[in-house]
Amino acid sequence: MQNKILLSIIIFIISLLQFSCGSKKASQKIIVASYGKIESLDPANATTLKSVQLLNSLGDTLYELNPQGELIPELASEMPIFSEDKLQVFINLRKDILFHDGTPFNSNAIKFTFDRFKKIGKRSYILADKIKSIDTPSEYKVIINLKKPSSSLNGLLTSVNLTPISPTFYKEYSEKFLNDKFVGTGKYILSRFSNEIQVIDPNLNYWGKKPNNKGITFVSYSNSSSLFGALKSKQIDVLLSNSIDDIQRNSLSLQSKNKKIQEGNSPATELTFISLRTNAYPLNNSNVRLAISKSFNRKLISKKVSYGLRSPSRSIVPPILRKDNQDLWPKYNPSEAKKLLQKEGYCNGNVLNIPLTYRSSVPADKLIALTWQEDIKNVLNNCIDIQLDGVEATTVYDKLDSGIYTAVILDWTGLYSDPNAYLMPLLSCSEIDDEKCNKGQSVLSGSFWGSIKVENLFNESEEINGFERLDKLFQIEKLASESIPYIPIWVSSQKAWSQNNISKPTFNGAGIISLSDLKLINE
Amino acid sequence: MSKDLSKIYNYSLLKLSLIPLMLWVISTLVFILLRIAPGDPVDAILGSGADEVSREMLRNRLGLNEPVLDQYITYINNILHLNFGQSLSTEEPVLNIILKSLPATLELGFFSILSAIIIGFTLGFIGLRYKGKRGDYIIRIIGIASYAIPPFWGAMLAQLIFSVYFNIFPIGGRFPIFQNQHHITGFLVLDSFLSNDFIGLREGLYHLALPSLTLGFLLSGIFSRSLRINLDKSLKSDYVNAAITRGVSRRRIILNHALPNALLPIVTISGLTIASLAGGALLFEVTFSWPGIALRLHEAISQRDYTLVQGIVIITSLLIVSLNLLVDIFIALLDPRIEY
Repeated sequence: MQNKILLSIIIFIISLLQFSCGSKKASQKIIVASYGKIESLDPANATTLKSVQLLNSLGDTLYELNPQGELIPELASEMPIFSEDKLQVFINLRKDILFHDGTPFNSNAIKFTFDRFKKIGKRSYILADKIKSIDTPSEYKVIINLKKPSSSLNGLLTSVNLTPISPTFYKEYSEKFLNDKFVGTGKYILSRFSNEIQVIDPNLNYWGKKPNNKGITFVSYSNSSSLFGALKSKQIDVLLSNSIDDIQRNSLSLQSKNKKIQEGNSPATELTFISLRTNAYPLNNSNVRLAISKSFNRKLISKKVSYGLRSPSRSIVPPILRKDNQDLWPKYNPSEAKKLLQKEGYCNGNVLNIPLTYRSSVPADKLIALTWQEDIKNVLNNCIDIQLDGVEATTVYDKLDSGIYTAVILDWTGLYSDPNAYLMPLLSCSEIDDEKCNKGQSVLSGSFWGSIKVENLFNESEEINGFERLDKLFQIEKLASESIPYIPIWVSSQKAWSQNNISKPTFNGAGIISLSDLKLINE
Repeated sequence: MSKDLSKIYNYSLLKLSLIPLMLWVISTLVFILLRIAPGDPVDAILGSGADEVSREMLRNRLGLNEPVLDQYITYINNILHLNFGQSLSTEEPVLNIILKSLPATLELGFFSILSAIIIGFTLGFIGLRYKGKRGDYIIRIIGIASYAIPPFWGAMLAQLIFSVYFNIFPIGGRFPIFQNQHHITGFLVLDSFLSNDFIGLREGLYHLALPSLTLGFLLSGIFSRSLRINLDKSLKSDYVNAAITRGVSRRRIILNHALPNALLPIVTISGLTIASLAGGALLFEVTFSWPGIALRLHEAISQRDYTLVQGIVIITSLLIVSLNLLVDIFIALLDPRIEY
């Protein structure tokens, strides 16, 4: 009897093993997995990085940023031309391009897409103070009328949120979202959509270079361990995620060094920083802020928290978007920090208390806070005391502008590829009173710092292009680095890991994976 | 059956009449708690970089700028018309989202309970068969361990062993990757069966196997222990002794006399287990990336999606109350000693 039971169990396990091997790969499509599900494939409603990644393969933008950070025309046939007063932008479009539904791509499609985004787009604020209207003088020519000169418009035109969609297909959806379908001009056509799995097939009529693969299956997992395990057990071909735990990132990086898998990195686009409330005691004192900045050991924190996988940054603009050597924030120097604090009356029995808030739902934040706290205890024990307070992320965002956080760890990824997409949200202010901002973006970022000089430079930078503009933006950041409303910590890149039978993942300059370049090597 | 059915009927009516009141209390509490809780859906949707004008525009569009009392009246009025509103984050009807996610949880719950009963009963019978011997002790340890293991840890362990190292089961997800699913009832296994899609059925069961067997195993201890104890107690009863002296076979004594009496407390336990499943499902669904209602609720809370949270809580409460009522009625029908 016992033998029969044992035999049955063995047969059951063998049949399961056979079943698992047989059913695992029944398609030539590449399986790309990432964290979190896709709620919407409507460019006007897409706010998550994952939906942006997928939309980028289903649609084309007017311009794209190449891996070197240069603007290249995509649906536009040439670079944008600005009028003399800088209030109009002329864009010529490529001809003979069809949407996935067979209708032609033309200037009306651009107008429809931009107007729809302005009307219902979740992030329509990125256009709000820039674009006044769109004119379509001919089928393949578009004129963008600006409210004021805007040199950052070029970067804005690379935004996936402005991916042109078919006016015919979206006719009924001009004022509401269409979440589960997408009709654009891209390399792939959406063939199946659910929140958890999306399947895309190559667009056989694509106007440009065709994809290197026979399609992609996008799957989502709801936790980091599942993603890690799925790649390890070869249940997926590519793991695309910036959300997996640092310890697992490190393990995957080690495996790629040992040639067990391949690792692709995007240019760093996500900035992690500490926002300092500059309008109230104790951080209204710029020397105190300078001392705190000098007490921040980025190298140690990067090594301890991210195993050195995130690059320490002394700038609030990612390297791909800024001039070389733009590391403007002060270096780690605890002895100078001590001198500054002593000058301000701290250290000799008077300890500076800094409440540091971190987002409890972001594991790295807590580790950053703990590591800094410990380092301060070692090097500036009698001068600074960091008190930690974990608050759920949504609550932090809600209360940032109320000024209840003395110092808070945050992150930011620009909504389009331009230095302004980092500088404006952190530094711009519409109502300034003696270096204190009463109203504006810096209030929403929790620093309450404002500078008339910075505002003037922002305005000047919108009217010029090229190196001259970059120089103005450099000056803006320099002013900020002298006043220290923020302490940049590190910049993170998107990473993707693939099995060895798949080509190494590549990214564009905006940190978006190029799904069409993924290739089965033994194909 | 000599049971007075009118008493059960009256009891059921009383309980049913209390359901609307209870739902009103729950919906009001959820409404108030969500508004008291810090965090703003607009921040969750737009992120921290949006300007005040855009925030105000979105607040107006979502109706969040209305006075709270007006919002409450609209909310209750909508519920009375079975309209749960639109999700704040996706602007999709809440009922659609619930109808997409709830079958996943019910399917997982059903197969988990089924596995728990099969595993628990098997172990319970074996334990009793080898009472006082080594096998009995091993089964007791397994039983105690199964309900002592935290579900999320058990789930991760199962995932690690069976999906990562042995690669027998998929690591997560509900839907077969290369298979289009049928949408009839939302229950994947049932829909595949109804569509004569046996490959889909096989794939569906394959994805369901690890989470349901793991959860089933974790729940089985309570079944095996209670079966073992209650059956043992029943076998020592006078009516069993009388049956033995009349020469009734042991098999018939167990199946016809002892087991029905031993099952009564187990039915009660099943009802309680179903209720506790609703709470415990979250970590399980997160671990196995199972797109059920608990995972959806978790996401909705972190996005401060008021309307979705409200809808899910009301529907889940309604389900649990209804299930408990059914269990109460079932027990009263089974056991003549129980009166309401």
